[in-house]
Amino acid sequence: MKVQTPEGEHVDLLTVNIGPSHPATHGALRAFVALDGEIIRAASTEIGYLHRGFEKMVEQGTYQQVLPYTDRLNYCSAILNNIGFSHTVEKMFEVEVPERATTLRVLLSELSRLIDHQVCIAAAAVDLGALTNYWYLFNPREEVYSIWEKLSGARLTNAFTRIGGLYRDTYEGFETDVRDVLPKIEKGLDDAFKLLEHNRIFIDRTRGVCPITAEQAVSWGWTGPCLRATGVDRDLRKDDPYLSYETYDFQTVIGSTGDTYDRLLVRMYEMRESLSICRQALSRLKPGPVNTADARLSLPGHDKTYHDMEALINQFKLVYEGIRAPAGEFYGSIEAANGELGFFIVSDGTGKPWKIKVRPPCFTQFAAYADLVEGSLVADAIACLSSLNIIAGELDR
Amino acid sequence: MTSQPLGLNQALTPATAEHRKAFETKAFEILSQKFEAAMDPRDRWSLTAIVPGSRLRECVHFLRDDPAMRLDLLLDITAVDYLGYPGHDAARYAVVYNLRSQRFAAHRLRLKVWVEEEDPQVPSIHDFFEIANWQERETWDQYGIDFSGHPDLRRLLNHIEFTGHPLRKDYPVRKRQWLSTNDPLILPLEARLEANGFVVLEHVAVNSPSVEETDLLGKSAVEKINYVEKAK
Amino acid sequence: MGAEATTATLATSAGSLEPPVGALHQDAGLNQTFMTTTIDAVVGWGRKNSLWPFTFGTACCAIEFMALAGSKFDIARFGAEFIRFSPRHSDLLVVAGTITYKQAPILRRIWEQMMEPRWVLSVGACASTGGFYDCYCTLPGIDEVIPVDVYVAGCPPRPEAYLDAIIQLQQKIQDASYMQDRQNRSHERIQIG
Repeated sequence: MKVQTPEGEHVDLLTVNIGPSHPATHGALRAFVALDGEIIRAASTEIGYLHRGFEKMVEQGTYQQVLPYTDRLNYCSAILNNIGFSHTVEKMFEVEVPERATTLRVLLSELSRLIDHQVCIAAAAVDLGALTNYWYLFNPREEVYSIWEKLSGARLTNAFTRIGGLYRDTYEGFETDVRDVLPKIEKGLDDAFKLLEHNRIFIDRTRGVCPITAEQAVSWGWTGPCLRATGVDRDLRKDDPYLSYETYDFQTVIGSTGDTYDRLLVRMYEMRESLSICRQALSRLKPGPVNTADARLSLPGHDKTYHDMEALINQFKLVYEGIRAPAGEFYGSIEAANGELGFFIVSDGTGKPWKIKVRPPCFTQFAAYADLVEGSLVADAIACLSSLNIIAGELDR
Repeated sequence: MTSQPLGLNQALTPATAEHRKAFETKAFEILSQKFEAAMDPRDRWSLTAIVPGSRLRECVHFLRDDPAMRLDLLLDITAVDYLGYPGHDAARYAVVYNLRSQRFAAHRLRLKVWVEEEDPQVPSIHDFFEIANWQERETWDQYGIDFSGHPDLRRLLNHIEFTGHPLRKDYPVRKRQWLSTNDPLILPLEARLEANGFVVLEHVAVNSPSVEETDLLGKSAVEKINYVEKAK
Repeated sequence: MGAEATTATLATSAGSLEPPVGALHQDAGLNQTFMTTTIDAVVGWGRKNSLWPFTFGTACCAIEFMALAGSKFDIARFGAEFIRFSPRHSDLLVVAGTITYKQAPILRRIWEQMMEPRWVLSVGACASTGGFYDCYCTLPGIDEVIPVDVYVAGCPPRPEAYLDAIIQLQQKIQDASYMQDRQNRSHERIQIG
């Protein structure tokens, strides 16, 4: 493609597709770039390769049937999405879940956040050629998967929460397992720190690469670790606390320049804070119910259902008609691993949702990608992409 | 409640229900005076202000820049199709803008614009928020709402040979549409080059046989294995 | 050889190459010698123990594939020491994740770029049948566009299920007859030429 540069030179640009069949784990993204040597002069991005019709599918079933779909949004931290959705619907009912459920949700949120950041950092390092971190960070992930398996039956897409609480209480030995896994995650994280934080090659590949200013990031709608890397002190767990996060002692991790190095290091330091929150949550776990007693949300339980007519009818209606959210429009959000994950629910008063729009955090990050990489090298574009932690399931829904 | 917007690198005072209520009362007062806003009864939990499409741009500009409002984070733009909604008495579509502030923790609000089925048009706000570009493209893709003034309104999630707007209530959920060949993306790339100050002298040579058989708007081409006929 | 889309069904029609009545396969006699069965066994053994996967991972199943590549389940002991990221270098196409209509032409092109012998593993409910995304954008199974050797059920399938599928594929590869396939190809060439 022959072009004339702004300076008046005639240059021949090479057009290359980066993606959508892309190495590393980012899956289904496409950037069509015009290269001048190795420098990207223009980039045009395309998404939708994993558009699976979340919004259309959830309109076909009941509110409870939405949960497995939410798992598959950000599939690296499935329980966070479940919690976001359940929490939003519970707020529509203005119902508080019992304390044990709240504490467990915090514990599971932070564990999910940990494993999500592990994937991001491991994949980012692999994209740069640093393969060892992959195993240091993935092996503790396997331990967490064993816990998920025992807890919910599935390793990756758990659908563990229910509207009104959790699927079930924890198994015997859960607290020991979690207490054992936290030092393993910490060891993996420390190893990753030793290999990456002051590593000359890592710094050269990521410092100053694709920076963004705080104002630009806010205009692009960024939230989460990518925004915090630009120096903006915003975290929904602190600013608009939910699930009693205001009672936990943790710090927001903030970067300074908003480049790739900051985005990755913010995640690594956030993992340390998450480990601390996990320990605090574990120490305050007390026995109790995990589901609200509110009959609009929770199933009555087998003994009542088999002996009491009203409970039987309640169970029947909840399962067949679905949980009937009050008619109206509501937006609820949580701080997911990538930023503010929001659900805008339009309800018509029946048990089937009228509309559920997911506000995905990484949509805003990838929208800025073309602007971020123009002017940098192809290798920098890859490093930048992996630092944004784009999960296609969430991006395309 | 803090009356001064905080800098981005300062921590916010956490939002409380009182702060939110106070903000919503004040915001609605101002919006109804300046922009003919009405309260949306469908939102029984927080503030959704219905503004006419003609006042949308001023309203968004005001909400973003006024020091007492500073709703500078556009969370989402989406549309709602009310076809078949029980007891619905207004226009078929509504475009919803979800705004939040990065300067005040308690400032959250939604704007709503009614859009008629016969002329689904709303002014674009892509110049106020960078992210509005993609969010409006997605709303157009899924609902068919035209955002006038948008520089590049084309499909975002569905493929280029897709016809129709799938999230509309009258689009059958299982109506599948095959794609014969991918969008070459040459036109958008050239548009970006031109926006960056380049002048395209000679267009890109298409080497792929499947692209040669397609015109650049992506009309159906017949590839070696013709699986277009498999469309049900 | 993997199961081939029979778009090039050139062989077998008229002529002296038609199999004699009562023959079990195309050329009764040539493939039943000691030499050819040994060659088949050796080639099958070589191929099945050096499967180089190309991970066409799009969604959640790809994360389970990453877990498979980790130390606990270790796909390296099946010969897949390094996951190839080019279809030209690989012989096993692992489709892990939902394939949408937008992605389908690309999947087809990647499969066409692989050289024979090639096999396809359809991992997960979405790749096999579209999963629970029964809607306007999801391909109801990758076998609409490419031929599949082994389907792995699950959402996402456990790494052990992946490995079970790979073991079944290895059995299929071992059972395939290299000499027979070579003969079929030479018949096709004779027919075209």
